[in-house]
Amino acid sequence: MDARLRRVNKEISDCKNDKTSQIKIELFDESPFHLKGSFPGPEGTPYEGGLFEVDIVIPDSYPFQPVKMKFITKVYHPNVSSASGAICLDILKDAWSPVLTLKSTLISLQSLLCSPEPNDPQDAEVAKHYMTSKSSFEETATYWTQIYAGGPGPKEKKGKGVGGKGVQDEVAIAGLERAHVDRFETLGFERSKVIDALRRLNYRGPNIAQITDDRVVEELLK
Amino acid sequence: MGSDYEYSDDDGEYYDDEEMFDGTQDEGDDVDMDNFGDDFKVAGKGKRKSYEVDYDSLSQQAVEKLMQRDVDHICGIFGVDTDTANLLLRHMKWNKERLIEKFMDNATSVLVAAGVAAPEPASPPAPVRTHNNSAPNSSTTRRPTTRGSKLLSLASGSKSAKSPPSTPKPMQRQLSKKQDEPFVCQICFNDAPDLQTLSLGCDHAFCTECWTDYIVSKIRDESEHSIRCMAEGCALVAPDSFIRSVLLPETGADPEKQEFNEKTWSRLQELFVRHFVGCNSSLKFCPYPSCTNTVSCPSAASKSSLTTIVPTVSCGARGIGNSAQDPAQSQQASLGLQGKEHKFCFGCDIESDHRPVICGVARMWLKKCRDDSETANWIKSNTKECSACQSTIEKNGGCNHMTCKKCKHEFCWVCMGPWSEHGTAWYSCNRFDEKTGVDARDAQSRSRASLERYLHYYNRWANHEQSAKLSLDLYAKTEKKMEEMQITSALTWIEVQFMKKAVEEVDKCRMTLKWTYAMAYYLAKGNEKELFEDNQRDLEKAVEDLSELLESQIEAEQIPTLRQQVTNKTVYVQKRNEIVLEDTANGFLEGRWRWNVPVPGFDDPVETA
Repeated sequence: MDARLRRVNKEISDCKNDKTSQIKIELFDESPFHLKGSFPGPEGTPYEGGLFEVDIVIPDSYPFQPVKMKFITKVYHPNVSSASGAICLDILKDAWSPVLTLKSTLISLQSLLCSPEPNDPQDAEVAKHYMTSKSSFEETATYWTQIYAGGPGPKEKKGKGVGGKGVQDEVAIAGLERAHVDRFETLGFERSKVIDALRRLNYRGPNIAQITDDRVVEELLK
Repeated sequence: MGSDYEYSDDDGEYYDDEEMFDGTQDEGDDVDMDNFGDDFKVAGKGKRKSYEVDYDSLSQQAVEKLMQRDVDHICGIFGVDTDTANLLLRHMKWNKERLIEKFMDNATSVLVAAGVAAPEPASPPAPVRTHNNSAPNSSTTRRPTTRGSKLLSLASGSKSAKSPPSTPKPMQRQLSKKQDEPFVCQICFNDAPDLQTLSLGCDHAFCTECWTDYIVSKIRDESEHSIRCMAEGCALVAPDSFIRSVLLPETGADPEKQEFNEKTWSRLQELFVRHFVGCNSSLKFCPYPSCTNTVSCPSAASKSSLTTIVPTVSCGARGIGNSAQDPAQSQQASLGLQGKEHKFCFGCDIESDHRPVICGVARMWLKKCRDDSETANWIKSNTKECSACQSTIEKNGGCNHMTCKKCKHEFCWVCMGPWSEHGTAWYSCNRFDEKTGVDARDAQSRSRASLERYLHYYNRWANHEQSAKLSLDLYAKTEKKMEEMQITSALTWIEVQFMKKAVEEVDKCRMTLKWTYAMAYYLAKGNEKELFEDNQRDLEKAVEDLSELLESQIEAEQIPTLRQQVTNKTVYVQKRNEIVLEDTANGFLEGRWRWNVPVPGFDDPVETA
């Protein structure tokens, strides 16, 4: 049997038998080389309680070349693209070793969620948010976990069944303060545009003092 | 025959060995090639011309010998085996002095960094290996030679090793049998009882098949010569003998795979050579496709030398394969580019001879041509510049009252003067000699003049480039003429070679001429430039005359005269070319040339009043 196929099959069945790691690997369709992995968000992080799905493509020269992975679930994290789910992680590139498995790689992703590397970002805007105000970043990440990954949401609102999936707060998704958005909206700008501009400017935490209203308006008029 | 004149390119671009390396090597360069003089052809030759550089062409084998010499040297000093020396040198980018220094300072750390030895674990490693194959292995034919013992003795002898240094383990180990647990390769999950496994000194064992696939994938897909252990986080690098034993096992597999792996192995050798060449500033790999030769040119190794010399070199190979010397095939080869020698510039990435102009200026000119030439002609014939802001304006209809879109300046298209001064004489400009109009036209003509100037040089440059391309046709035509001559006259093959020589000379001179225009464009005004342009004009005239002669009809009775003429002209053209090249090269050496733009390595241009 083809060594690659044997290895992938073994990896999938190993994962099935392993009940402790909570990591799942399933087939998308018939192909054993396009898989869907999933793992729960690590405890004690804004991702706790969410279930994160990963798109896995096994290249022809696997395991000698690294697997291709990206998040299906939207994640608010400096090393994950908030738009495409692309992941910046060394073992998916040059630090790959053939002894790494799908499971161990997924575990690495899980631990990447625990320890962001904002200095080597995949998503610069998210990384800036993280660097400016960690607490505000964590709020947004928690909110994303809640609406995209089925997480429980912010702690104080736990159990209240906030919002539900239908109602999504654009301001919270962008990691901004409602008061700020409202203020510029009253100047006569469209709400979505205000959110966009403030996000680009990283209008958060201590940064706010440094960004004049004129600068915001300028960005809005662009 | 053919003694009427000599062709300098005929006897190859090989120069005397002694002269070559005489004081031209810089300190950092430890490649001393004198001992390898007999590996490549060295033809004695008179004093080299000032526009030529000393260089040598090395085959892949010759470079491998140079590498081997460094390796032997390191083996001798450190008392290590070839594999270790190779890994150490590659790790240190073939800088022998630094390697020796670092090794003397802390041998263990260098060995670890180079991937020769595993870093010392916190606690001594347990001698038990759990990965061994359970079944008795019948095919343990390959017993690796025990190396590492030498390495051990030296490592413990080095001064800085405080605690006993980690004992580098034998590089390759065919697993000995026994152990209770059955072995499963952690990559392919194969647990066949007769599985053959291999490991580096770190004892991370994997099956032979996975090793092969891994090594092949690294070499072929990634062009990687440094192949690390497959285990995660293990920094050990597979030594050459290990890779060789994996790719080319003594007990041959099926022949097809064998051939494939042999190719992979030779690809790896090429990667090693490329790495070595890349680490040495006095060596450069031939840029021609599928050519594996290297050129050594120590005099052009430093960046600063490139402001005084144009290191045009040739790797010695011609076309594809070296058959051009064979008369029967040379006729075929000379029709196309196949027969041309691999000429390139050692100092920059221009893959042709750009003498006489130096690399920096040549690059500047090429960039300018890419940016400017396509639209410049159109702009010149269809537009004028706004007399206020100098934006380029196309008048596509309407009256002569122009309003610049950009600065809103209103002016007259005919006289270029401001519209406000036109008074009542609108729509019929009669103010041609008014001062403001004259000023505006002056400003415009200055801007035009710079474009005109550029186009003057560019058109001539492009013309020679075009003609050089057409020289392929000329070759073909000449070939035909030579055949005709052999039939219509009593001349022999060798006697009609004068035509081919003439075509080659024309081609060569057109290259020179082409680049003289790039040079002249950037030369600052003055006597020096005038002299340069005089030389350029003489060469151009001579080349055009000879070109015309080559295109002319051949009459049987005129062949002797034609031959006389062509031969004379060829010699003359050759002389003129030499004068241009030599004078320019001397100018660089004497620092005679001044530019009209800032050129790195030169003084900034002085504004001429």
